[in-house]
Amino acid sequence: MDRVLNSFIVTLRGAGVPVSISESIDAAQALAISGYGNRQVVKSSLAATLAKSVAEKEIFEDCFDRFFAYQAPKADFAAGQDNGDEQNPGDMPPIGGMIMEGDLGGVALAVRDAARSVDLQSIRFFTQRGIFTSRMLQALQLDQLDRFMADLYREGGSGAAATTRLLEQGRDALVDMVRRFVEEQYDIYARESTERIIERYLWDVRLTELEERHYDRMHFLIKKLVKRMNDRFSRRRRRAKRGALDFKRTLRSNMHHGGLLFETHWKKKRVNRPDVVILCDVSRSMSTVVRFCLLMLYGLNEVVARIRSFVFCSSLLEVSHVFESCPVAVAVERLRTGEGLDIHMGRTDYGSAFWDFTNRHLEAVTGKTTVIILGDARSNYGDPADELLQKISERCRRLIWLNPETSPMWGTGDSEMKRYMRLCDQVMECSTLRHLEQLVRVLVRIP
Amino acid sequence: MTDQNGKFESVDKVREGFKDAGYICNTDIATTVYLAFHLEKPVLVEGPAGVGKTELAKKAASFMDVPLIRLQCYEGLDESKALYEWKYGKQLLYTQLLRDKLDQVIDRGNDMDESIRTLHQYEDIFFSPQFLEPRPLLKALQAEQGAVLLIDEVDKADEEFEAFLLEILSEFQVSIPEIGTVRAKTKPYVFLTSNSTRELSEALKRRCLHLFIPFPEPELEREIVRYHVPAIPDLLEKQLVMFIHEVRKLELKKAPSISETIDWARALILLHAEGLDRDLTRKTLNTFLKFEEDIRAVDEKLFLLVDKALKETA
Repeated sequence: MDRVLNSFIVTLRGAGVPVSISESIDAAQALAISGYGNRQVVKSSLAATLAKSVAEKEIFEDCFDRFFAYQAPKADFAAGQDNGDEQNPGDMPPIGGMIMEGDLGGVALAVRDAARSVDLQSIRFFTQRGIFTSRMLQALQLDQLDRFMADLYREGGSGAAATTRLLEQGRDALVDMVRRFVEEQYDIYARESTERIIERYLWDVRLTELEERHYDRMHFLIKKLVKRMNDRFSRRRRRAKRGALDFKRTLRSNMHHGGLLFETHWKKKRVNRPDVVILCDVSRSMSTVVRFCLLMLYGLNEVVARIRSFVFCSSLLEVSHVFESCPVAVAVERLRTGEGLDIHMGRTDYGSAFWDFTNRHLEAVTGKTTVIILGDARSNYGDPADELLQKISERCRRLIWLNPETSPMWGTGDSEMKRYMRLCDQVMECSTLRHLEQLVRVLVRIP
Repeated sequence: MTDQNGKFESVDKVREGFKDAGYICNTDIATTVYLAFHLEKPVLVEGPAGVGKTELAKKAASFMDVPLIRLQCYEGLDESKALYEWKYGKQLLYTQLLRDKLDQVIDRGNDMDESIRTLHQYEDIFFSPQFLEPRPLLKALQAEQGAVLLIDEVDKADEEFEAFLLEILSEFQVSIPEIGTVRAKTKPYVFLTSNSTRELSEALKRRCLHLFIPFPEPELEREIVRYHVPAIPDLLEKQLVMFIHEVRKLELKKAPSISETIDWARALILLHAEGLDRDLTRKTLNTFLKFEEDIRAVDEKLFLLVDKALKETA
């Protein structure tokens, strides 16, 4: 059973349940205690020791049912006639004998043994199916069987034709069975790893080049990222300031000790969540980046206190109300289509966007605000109006500029990035999911 | 903890035992409880509110016939509330009362050095077990006959506290600087419950067996209702459970839990109901739905829901 348990754990790991060594030891001990008599009990024992969250339990259910599915071998071998082994028993490989006898159980076992000997559980990619199938057939000594059949056919003799026919049928059924078996095992062991390769690719793909068919996956990944970030940073809001005595609280709580200071209370520092004002360039080249950036920011309610969002192209417009009235995923979609928004989608003009912002919405920026500007700073040779940006920069706590272009491109052509950079507290490239994650780390670190 | 009277002989025995104690469990629960006993590991219980996570620990205590020691977690819970505290007041009082005695001991005639040396001989009297106030965790370790330790809503406590729990949960010992290491005389049987308000640390999960209690299957829930409300007519019980299951499928702020099913069953018995009908259901919705929005949402679909429940049990 140990070996079976081991490969089951490999399956679980492949499916995304991180099973540690100590947990696998627990599982083995649990099985030793509860026994193998009752399928349900075995399942519960393994679930208790291996899957440690609701999500993992679900994966576990699925894996368990598929891994321990009992299937009667489906190949149809004709029931054997015993005259086969009288012919030439020395040369016939054991598998041939099983076929002749119609020993289905034996064949199934032999297939499983072969799978173990070629280490089938290491299969990861669908391109490996062929090679594993042929390796397994080799392990089953199919080539010997073929040779034996050829010899038999050549020699002829009484009943040879019938035996050959029988063997041939059995051989085809066997090949079929092995192929199906490899297919099933591929499903069990490798299904998740393809998924993971795509996931890894998505972490580093430039958002501007993301294909639309990956959007759903990306949403899912961002959800995961947001959850992780919320978990990580939600509990850091209060932090003890070591060494500074909170004298008032100490006195108060020690009144009943007659003024003797037994219990001490220390001063605590509150770590505030930042208020964010974000200005997004929504010209065509930017739309995917804006979409995912907003999707993430609006999820971060444990990290960010309040968000006001503005979009601009030729003119600037506040869109916070869109996010308040509908779910984030719907809201970003509405921004993309521009449905019900009065925005002028002409040439991008940073100068006039800043002018609109400083004249109409400057009250949104206070000494506590973190202002994020998401844009490529390509202003089509218009007036950059950096003095207006300076005004914003002086008023806010931090000014962060996120540019989806790589830094060598900054300042080339109509890019005003070099000019704007001087006024920002932080400038970051922002074109992949990984960059978005970095943004969160920067956000929580309030100076 | 040793197995008394073979109560933990097999999974089925455990299930039977819990049933006698008043807790009806499925195979998952029985197996996990059984394993936790034999592997001497804590059980981390997760699941929606009101499915009987806390109840499981209580019933385990009565099943094993040992005391239940409960530690309710909240934000800001620390060692002095969970493990032990010195009895400051008592220490203070004793020093006051013993002032004369102390004077004698020190003997004013002696010089400083001598006095300090004398005092050193008595140093530990005020930091001895007599002045120690054990809190739940220490109590559980000290229990002679063993105990069931329930650490309730561990997800509400801070991460630091979780880290602190690790030592206790894996070694069943704690160190108190002034006294030394306290080792469990009999290892307590530990349950931790969580409502998943946040993800618990990997390290903690690794040390525990994990048990997820979902809303029960209709069959099991009917058995539970029958157990707690024996007077319920057969038909009503079937319809009621079916109705609750339909309600749980809706998107509600707070889906009715087992305890609410039982409450509702009791209410219907008081009203002498023999079977479910629309009018009666509408009037008693507030026994199992706790939000105005939820009541409204269910009320809108009442016709459909009741119909479905009646049809499926017909």
